[in-house]
Amino acid sequence: MVTSSLRVPKHGHTPGECEDAARVLPAADEGTWLAAAVADGASESLLAGPWADLLTRTVTDAVRDDDRVLRDVDRFAAALMGAGEAWRRWLADYVADREAGGRPIAWYEQPKLDRGPHAAVLAARFDTGPSATRWEVAALGDSCLFHTRDDRLLRAFPLESAAAFDNSPGLVNAFDRDGALLARHVRTASGAAEPGDRFFLCTDALAAWFLGAAERGDRPWHVLDEFTRSGDLDAFTAWLTTTRAEGLMRNDDVTVVHVAFE
Amino acid sequence: MTYTAEISRANPSCFVFLVDQSASMENPIGGGRQRKSDVVADAINRLLAELSVKCAKEEGVRDYFHVAVIGYGHGVGSAFTGPLAGRELVPLSQVAEKPARVEKRVKEVPDGAGGLVETTTRFPVWVDPVAHGATPMCRALSLAESLVSDWVVRHPDGFPPIVLNLTDGESTDGDPAGAAWAVQTHVTADGAALLFNLHVSATDAVPVTFPDTDTALPDAYARTLFGMSSPLPPHMRFYAMQQGVAAGDLTRGFVYNADITSLVQFLDIGTRATDLR
Repeated sequence: MVTSSLRVPKHGHTPGECEDAARVLPAADEGTWLAAAVADGASESLLAGPWADLLTRTVTDAVRDDDRVLRDVDRFAAALMGAGEAWRRWLADYVADREAGGRPIAWYEQPKLDRGPHAAVLAARFDTGPSATRWEVAALGDSCLFHTRDDRLLRAFPLESAAAFDNSPGLVNAFDRDGALLARHVRTASGAAEPGDRFFLCTDALAAWFLGAAERGDRPWHVLDEFTRSGDLDAFTAWLTTTRAEGLMRNDDVTVVHVAFE
Repeated sequence: MTYTAEISRANPSCFVFLVDQSASMENPIGGGRQRKSDVVADAINRLLAELSVKCAKEEGVRDYFHVAVIGYGHGVGSAFTGPLAGRELVPLSQVAEKPARVEKRVKEVPDGAGGLVETTTRFPVWVDPVAHGATPMCRALSLAESLVSDWVVRHPDGFPPIVLNLTDGESTDGDPAGAAWAVQTHVTADGAALLFNLHVSATDAVPVTFPDTDTALPDAYARTLFGMSSPLPPHMRFYAMQQGVAAGDLTRGFVYNADITSLVQFLDIGTRATDLR
């Protein structure tokens, strides 16, 4: 398995303002399994970037420690609530640091801090065995996984059309304590992979572009394959700028993780 | 005319609030004891606070909007008090950083066990209640038009300016319909400037929120303000419907003796922080 990822802020924002996160966890026994996650912090939230980062770290750790997390919506919901517990500790440190630095929480920040940050999240696990490779994915929100084979799109998950995206997706809030509610919004999928297959984990703006392009008969996986293989962030950023300017992609943070089976 | 332009620091929009500060605002609102001047000052302060919170990020409030608050009564001009006194369009970050004062207010919140518990919140104040003089609404609308006109020249592709007039409707310098129409003739590539109205009335009539007809409105002042108000653009209708308003193609940005703070929730600045249901 070969992985690569790219992350670019929305046009007009600095890299530090990017509120997407991605994490890939290599196995200790390299080559037998791999966990990957992307998360997309909501623009309207405060500290959406750190929350997205914490979500990807927590869920990939959970996926590493328990291979049932992506099969069982209740276990995935429990992992999300685990991230919420970690958030409370992180937030206490953040508030203390702000006060120690002479910049206490302002009146306009407090309502959003009290409400907690929101993010979409998607996590996947790939296991290679002697005879087959399995993949499993769980998501809450509109970050997507695409599975391609033989130059065609085999599976899009959890959204299957460009029209399905809007600006009010399902989101995980750091203070969500209702496991059943979270579980109701979690979607899972699984399948088999073959040599040559490609998987792309994308946050929403890129995912919507991908599906739109596929619906027009294009092969958007070639574009992502080229940029992720080269790892050329400048070229990817330039392409995003053009694509956004042409109205083919919403101006938003963009993250892609590419998992290839050679 | 799509009202879909991105609102960002590079492509900001603007809000012009017009606040009726005439002597008639001293009278109580219909069905209540609060003075109309208190109601509109409270509404403005809550709108500015909501807008600041909406655009707040950890490094501060982002300048997605520039804001003017124009009072009209004894005179026509900036209604800001405190550090922003005398200023017209102000970047939202400065509005957030420079209220006249931040009061502590007590409010009741759910205690998680079916009851309520008192808590204190910080309530910033930029505008104080004023009730003095006549109601030169036409002059106020003309000043708004001048700010809007200048803004669209400098931001020809941006989300159009929004003018929100808070008044008891009793203009003393003529029929405001013409001046209201003039505001809405200024356009960007994304649409015409929007004019919305909050009517606070002494008449004890049923509150009305974002109606699509003037038939339920109790008097000529209300019907005039309804007629002056822009239709809600499609995305605002969508969010109004999410909040339980039966919004259709003819729904206008007009509220009678009711809360208009929800207007801030009709603005798009990116992915919404929506809780699961």
